[in-house]
Amino acid sequence: MPIFDFYFWTQETGPTLATSGPIIQVEVSMPSALEEFCTKKSVPIPPPQTGFALIDTGASNSAIDESILQQLSILPIDSIPSSTPSGAGRSFVYPTKVSFPALNVKDYGLSRVIGCNLKWKTADNKEIIMLLGRDLLRYMVLIYNGTNSSITIGF
Amino acid sequence: MALEQELQHFEKIKAELLKNHAGKFALIKGNEFVGAFDTPDNAFKEGVNRFGKEIFLIKRISQEEEVYRNQALFLGLLNAHI
Repeated sequence: MPIFDFYFWTQETGPTLATSGPIIQVEVSMPSALEEFCTKKSVPIPPPQTGFALIDTGASNSAIDESILQQLSILPIDSIPSSTPSGAGRSFVYPTKVSFPALNVKDYGLSRVIGCNLKWKTADNKEIIMLLGRDLLRYMVLIYNGTNSSITIGF
Repeated sequence: MALEQELQHFEKIKAELLKNHAGKFALIKGNEFVGAFDTPDNAFKEGVNRFGKEIFLIKRISQEEEVYRNQALFLGLLNAHI
């Protein structure tokens, strides 16, 4: 299993892991089956959307900002119950494909991600578009080194 | 709401699906149950083959509905709204 170390540090503010959280670059794109359909029908394929994924051990499933999914012309395939601080509700489920360039992971199919209103920027201006939940973490080794402002991921 | 008709149809035929296809994924378009598949990927491929870019439902066939849980969201630690 390849191991990757990530250090969270800027010259202006010093260590940033505690404020930004453990984040890695992500590229979200249309699921392969839909891409193949669009290619066959000569329908333009939207370009992949890039941003950062926050590693979230508290989330049962990975989630992606709904505006990103809309830009990719991906329609929901399910609606499931969810609970938020504002009360109980339902969330749409979408199929997607993700790449994590820093982990050498390309075009990993995610058949069921949650759509939510998620986008925000960290103090050092990195845009979060995804929560990386336990559906993906189950295949990873994650070490959070708070004293060193770094994380180690094996995937 | 998107998928409203499909979700209603799923509820209508749920008992029968549980009897014959528990644990699989149902593919439903409108009021038509297309089939049950071992994986959501296979259901999605079939859905795209049949309906292209149109909307369709892929639902796990189980007694208890799948729930999205996020402890940080419960606690309000993240700036996310579902």
